[in-house]
Amino acid sequence: PCRAQPKKKKKVDVKREQAQKDRMKKKIKKLEKAAPEMIPIEDFITPLKYSDSKRVRSLPPLSFEETERRVLLMKKWCLFKQKQDKAEKKAIQTLVEAQQEALKELRLESEELYQAAIRRDEGLFPFEREGPNYTPPLPGYDPPEGKCVDITKVYTQ
Amino acid sequence: AASAPRPWRLFGAMCLLRLPRITQPLAKEEEEMAALTEQIEMEKSHYSDHEMRKLEEEEQLRRRKESTYDDDEAPGKTVIMAQDLEDKWEQKLLQFQAAPRVTDADKNNNRTSLNRKLDSNLMLLVKQKVGNQELWLLPQAEWQPGETLRGTAERAMAAFLGDHIQAKILGNAPYGIYKYKFPRAIRTADHLGAKVFFFKAFLQSSDLSQAELKEDYLWVTKDELGDYLKSEYLKKVNRFLLD
Repeated sequence: PCRAQPKKKKKVDVKREQAQKDRMKKKIKKLEKAAPEMIPIEDFITPLKYSDSKRVRSLPPLSFEETERRVLLMKKWCLFKQKQDKAEKKAIQTLVEAQQEALKELRLESEELYQAAIRRDEGLFPFEREGPNYTPPLPGYDPPEGKCVDITKVYTQ
Repeated sequence: AASAPRPWRLFGAMCLLRLPRITQPLAKEEEEMAALTEQIEMEKSHYSDHEMRKLEEEEQLRRRKESTYDDDEAPGKTVIMAQDLEDKWEQKLLQFQAAPRVTDADKNNNRTSLNRKLDSNLMLLVKQKVGNQELWLLPQAEWQPGETLRGTAERAMAAFLGDHIQAKILGNAPYGIYKYKFPRAIRTADHLGAKVFFFKAFLQSSDLSQAELKEDYLWVTKDELGDYLKSEYLKKVNRFLLD
């Protein structure tokens, strides 16, 4: 009699725990099957306060001369950019030609040096450089103190 | 197999470029276009918060002047107006002095300094003895068996600027070649002439105070190269230099 009782307790506990685990697993499966929520792209949603009509600028309409000037300027710009592009492409072409000539001469000289030259340079990329600014850096400039607090919203799926 | 004796002597030369630090001045069309795009952008935009605040305050001021002493708001309260803020920012801007774009070295035309012509590429030229002439050239060294040509160019650079130079060499392949035959007096069957292979590198470190510059050196732009280099050499060098 004393021996039978603890056995019953164990069985009932085990069954109850099994049932609980199965219920949890079913819930987890249901949640996973539901499609994940899309992360909203904040740039594409204009906040409502900017669609207020009071915010629209009131400007006088453009005169005929102004529109003419703008159209002519656009055409000049088009031509300018085309010339610039052609010049750039031509410069790259001469660069490539000069390099090909150099490699050809090198090959005539020695095959081994040529093979060393056309091998890929692993240390070249990634190449980082800070671009030019409008004014050179001021020597001995002390930038004002301040703290930057990042308030970007981070979404997780 | 015995390789045929090569009659050309090989040299590796390094074209060290100091990249521009400031932007080049805009062309006339670029300036006009920039002004036009700014104007169009302003026309298409809506009022910002700051501008709304400014408009409202102007309205309030106008109403206060028209209706005599409409004191709904407490008179003792000092409110910072948007216009005051703008004036304060304007003052702060005027007080700031940026570094000049045209440096002292520009004015003195000191060609040995790295601080001139901050908006264009500067190249290193050194005076070297070739044969029995002293010429202005890109630093070069003769190739020795057992090293690649890039190694030769690096050795040439180190010979003139010391070991502590941070330069990014752009790849293993040469960018250009200058081939010349020796004058008849020293031409032999073994030494017909020389081939100089050019490599390009970007200067990374901005100060060269540690560099031990032994011989005469110059930092010049592409346009000024013509003052120092011979015409044939210059033609070949110009081919692989972008403006």
